[in-house]
Amino acid sequence: MDILKEIADKTEKGKQLEVPAAVQKALANGIPPYKVLTNGLQKGLETVGDRFKRNQAYIPEVLLAARAMQAGINILQPLLVESGEKPIATVVLGTVKDDLHDIGKNMVGMMLEGSGFQVVDLGVNVPAEKFIAAIQDKDTSILAMSALLSTTAPYLKTVIEALKQKGLRENVKVLVGGAPVTEQYAIEIGADGFAPDSARAADKAKELLNLKY
Amino acid sequence: MKPRDRFLKAIKLEEADRVPQLIRWGKEIGQRLSAIFGVAGPELGLRIGNDAVVCQVGINAEMEMSKGDLAEGETYKSEWGVVYQRQSGFNNPIEHPLKSREDLKDYTFPDPHDPKRIREIETVMQKYHEDYAVIVDLSSSLFEAAMAHLRGMQDFILDCYDDSEWAGSVLDGLADYYLQLGIHAVESGVDVVRIGDDIGTQTGMLIPPELWRDLVKPRIKRMIQAFKKTNPDIIMLYHSCGDFRPIIGDLIEVGVQFLSTMQRVGTMDPYEIKREFGDKVAFKGGLDTQQLMPNGTPEAVRRGVKDILKAYAPGGGYVFMPAHLLYQDVPTDNIWAMLESVKDYGKYPLKF
Repeated sequence: MDILKEIADKTEKGKQLEVPAAVQKALANGIPPYKVLTNGLQKGLETVGDRFKRNQAYIPEVLLAARAMQAGINILQPLLVESGEKPIATVVLGTVKDDLHDIGKNMVGMMLEGSGFQVVDLGVNVPAEKFIAAIQDKDTSILAMSALLSTTAPYLKTVIEALKQKGLRENVKVLVGGAPVTEQYAIEIGADGFAPDSARAADKAKELLNLKY
Repeated sequence: MKPRDRFLKAIKLEEADRVPQLIRWGKEIGQRLSAIFGVAGPELGLRIGNDAVVCQVGINAEMEMSKGDLAEGETYKSEWGVVYQRQSGFNNPIEHPLKSREDLKDYTFPDPHDPKRIREIETVMQKYHEDYAVIVDLSSSLFEAAMAHLRGMQDFILDCYDDSEWAGSVLDGLADYYLQLGIHAVESGVDVVRIGDDIGTQTGMLIPPELWRDLVKPRIKRMIQAFKKTNPDIIMLYHSCGDFRPIIGDLIEVGVQFLSTMQRVGTMDPYEIKREFGDKVAFKGGLDTQQLMPNGTPEAVRRGVKDILKAYAPGGGYVFMPAHLLYQDVPTDNIWAMLESVKDYGKYPLKF
């Protein structure tokens, strides 16, 4: 089997113990690290993500694949830095204030990384000021926020309003999600995009930046 | 008709005089309604027409009921060794006792024979059982208890693949604990034992149904068998949030007679569910609390109540309840609209 296809396949199946050796083999064959990442590791996660979107894969499979991808990235990271490869864009990510739920947000982070984004994960219970400081700190293209509770979802709007007040709203695209959040709700609060699951969040992120997906 | 008879008749898939109800809320709504009605706790539920009283003794009690007086942001450690932080009106598990798989060796589950908990059940029985159905709530029971409380969500999900035997040992510890505690509840004469785990999401099951069948189902079966051996008439209620349709047939197979919370998400179309399973199992819940109750108009709430009754109530087999506790974002007018419309539309024979 083609080594990149083998890496993609092992990543998709979540074989974290086998991925590193396959990555080493690809590098030994002279394949550039960036290709190993995009056509191997990321391809594998993307395949699981596609199945997940169609309800043909479950959360554990995404977690396993993301972990396997990470095992490969750990090897590639220094080489990618060395060759000066840049992520396609930076996303600041977090669960909003008063909400401590993180697995959905974490999965969005994994899928975004799997799509080539750099993710600055601010964690959970993130106040507006912290989101704002983070997007000012880094050249950020997208602010991605999550809320699991109907009681915390209104804070998504609070952050958007705070961005406007600081004159920063036009600097970033705002992507929102979480159990009580709908497309309609996202439009009402003035977000740029909504996604119902982590795989589609990554698609939406690319769409917002007019990148092909 | 006594509320208890009404409640039990519905679970036996028969029509009573009206659709029974069991509405529950978080602390802030409780305070809001108490200020109006002058009563609190279970009495408040009965005052607004509940037909049953819930005695929550499972690990999820830590999230709301037993430590409801914490201030926002405050933390505490439960006897399970879980650290909770109060945020947005309930206690969220933020630190888990099983930090690594090795920690299970030295972990001690709480005492299922603790007289304090048994007394709690007996007190509710003495006070309410004459007129009202009593539900003892042993949730979250297995998967959610392990995942959300004892180990942490991502870690436990991965454990199920990395070392399923270990994951099974955690679930066994929980099953043993709840089995003993549940037998005490059944012996005290309660009508319904509730077990459950949130294994549904907005779009489908959280874990593959096969994984649930391998790891969780046999342990649920073991618990239900023990309860039914103690009292064959005990009614088994199973609860999950989200979409858990793929395992409804499995739950019925192992002896579940009553399902909640029937959130209308993913593949959980109430009309389809009633058609497919309504001759075998009763339902509770279904009214949307993610959009409708907090954000809808009172008129929309009335339509929502009518629709959920139309789906689930024909022929009995339904207890009215919102799909979750009501939280502080629900306007009081929507609560009135909900209560009134259950009264208006919930009388048998139904008029639609």
